[in-house]
Amino acid sequence: MNNSPIKISLIALFSVGALLSAQDAYAMHISEGILPLNWAALWFALAIPFVAYGLYSLNRRSRNDLSFKPLAGLMAAVVFIISCMPIPIPFAGTCSHPCGTGISGILVGPAISVVIAAVALLIQAIFLAHGGLSTLGADIVSMGVMGSFAGYFTFRILLSLRMGIAVSGFMAGLFADWATYLMTSVELASGIKGGAAFLPLFYKILIAFIPTQLPLGILEGAITAGMVMLLYKKRPDILVKMHVIKPGDVAMGKQGMTALIVAFFIFGGALSAAIPAEAAKWTGVDEAVIEKVAKEHGREAKAPLIDKEQGDLLLFLFLAAGAIGGFAAGYYWRALVAEKRTRVDDKKEAMMEDK
Amino acid sequence: MIFSKYIHNEEHWLSRLDARVKLVVTLAILVMVLSYKGSAFHLFVTALCLFQCWRMKIPWRVFLLRFSEPVFIVLVILLLKIFFSGGESIFSTEIMGIQITAYREGLAEGLSIASRIIAAISIMAVMVFSTPFTELLAALSWLRVPQGFIEILMYAYRYIFVLIEDAGVIYDAQKNRLGYATLNRRFSSIGILVGSLILKAFEHSQNISVAMVQRGYDGQIPLLKQKPFRLAEVVISFLFVTMMGFLWQI
Repeated sequence: MNNSPIKISLIALFSVGALLSAQDAYAMHISEGILPLNWAALWFALAIPFVAYGLYSLNRRSRNDLSFKPLAGLMAAVVFIISCMPIPIPFAGTCSHPCGTGISGILVGPAISVVIAAVALLIQAIFLAHGGLSTLGADIVSMGVMGSFAGYFTFRILLSLRMGIAVSGFMAGLFADWATYLMTSVELASGIKGGAAFLPLFYKILIAFIPTQLPLGILEGAITAGMVMLLYKKRPDILVKMHVIKPGDVAMGKQGMTALIVAFFIFGGALSAAIPAEAAKWTGVDEAVIEKVAKEHGREAKAPLIDKEQGDLLLFLFLAAGAIGGFAAGYYWRALVAEKRTRVDDKKEAMMEDK
Repeated sequence: MIFSKYIHNEEHWLSRLDARVKLVVTLAILVMVLSYKGSAFHLFVTALCLFQCWRMKIPWRVFLLRFSEPVFIVLVILLLKIFFSGGESIFSTEIMGIQITAYREGLAEGLSIASRIIAAISIMAVMVFSTPFTELLAALSWLRVPQGFIEILMYAYRYIFVLIEDAGVIYDAQKNRLGYATLNRRFSSIGILVGSLILKAFEHSQNISVAMVQRGYDGQIPLLKQKPFRLAEVVISFLFVTMMGFLWQI
């Protein structure tokens, strides 16, 4: 065992990557028989309280609404279909599947979403050998518990920060996927480590998952955001009924848009700060050839009209931006301050008028 | 979809066996397989189950599709164990300046895990290929799996096919409108497809609940009534599990 950890990780990455590209990757589900009895039992013991609480919540909600159990069954069917859907991963040259539990977590809450995931996983294990009966507990913990709770809490927290539905949906899908894959790595490493140490194997499995799961998480975020936005546009009443949004919530919150713009500028600033440092080593064709030849022929370059070396350009830009921003804010102050009407409000008003 | 290729051979004797007995025997052997250290018992169980699958005349394509994913995982685990676990080297080579060494202990552990996976998959294959889903649900209910869970399982199983059909219609419509022509459009189309499926799920759930309430639905679906056990089946199954337990101890 003389190899450095980086080399070992590289070999793990490429060997597993080569296998992944040979076939569609079903990385989220732990296959039948992988976990020894003690670990399989432990994950079952961890999963059972969550499933039991989910069933309790489901029964409580279905007492008030008789359509809720059929809805949960249909959501399980949707999660089943989503987690069988092959999504292309261009970076890894393979296909993988999203979890779908982030979506169900957002719509019906994390507790009932665990039951929905358990049902979808059991059907997959029975009919497709996708997962297994002995590993059902571990799969419920990773996909059901971690996926649903990570998706739900990310969505709720971001929505309470008024980040907007689209941004919250995107981040919920992203974290639900990554949390699932993190937990799957823990379960796999603990199950197959044998006499070896846990952490090195955990890191190897984590690294081996990166080529597919890292981009897939971003794609699942995009799909979740797309799904939430479609529901918001077509049937906002469903989102209100399921307590996903309140009537006043908007698709892209001001803070969400601001955060995106700030992130864009920070990223751009960091990039532009990095580029000059590197570019300073290489003079451009203007300076190296044209200016040199012109100078040789007695036509020296004049000083620029706006000389970046003189005065405080940054201060000028800030002042200009402040002036433009102030003008825009003053001109559109009604749009910024007045309460925004949503489709839900319009629908409610129309219903009241009908009555 | 592999679902439609799911075969339930009624002529085979295992298909006529009570689903509850089959479920208990399957779980008992699964526990033995998972707790066994070594490969001999796993190989015996695999051979026995594959023989039964062959006797049930399961088409090769269905069989290979079912085993393809576990076999792929077996390969990944074998590689991880052989090259990253153990101390005694079997062989060592250098590729592009990276020293690659295979270890004896890793190979032994990898083979043990691989045989365990294949044996567990084989047991489940025999169970699934010989039991209709409704009987399996009744057996789960007899095993005291909560009724709420069974009901959700029933709804999900019933509506998977309906939603797959809906998804197919939406997918064809998107494809005909070049919805999958570029990568960006592909992701956007998948998002719309998933959203539309959820809308369909809401519509279907409303329609079913209205239809069921009109037929006296009060929040619980009655499940299949259990037939009494056949003594011969129970005794033979008990003897079989005892024999397997004896082999497991060896």
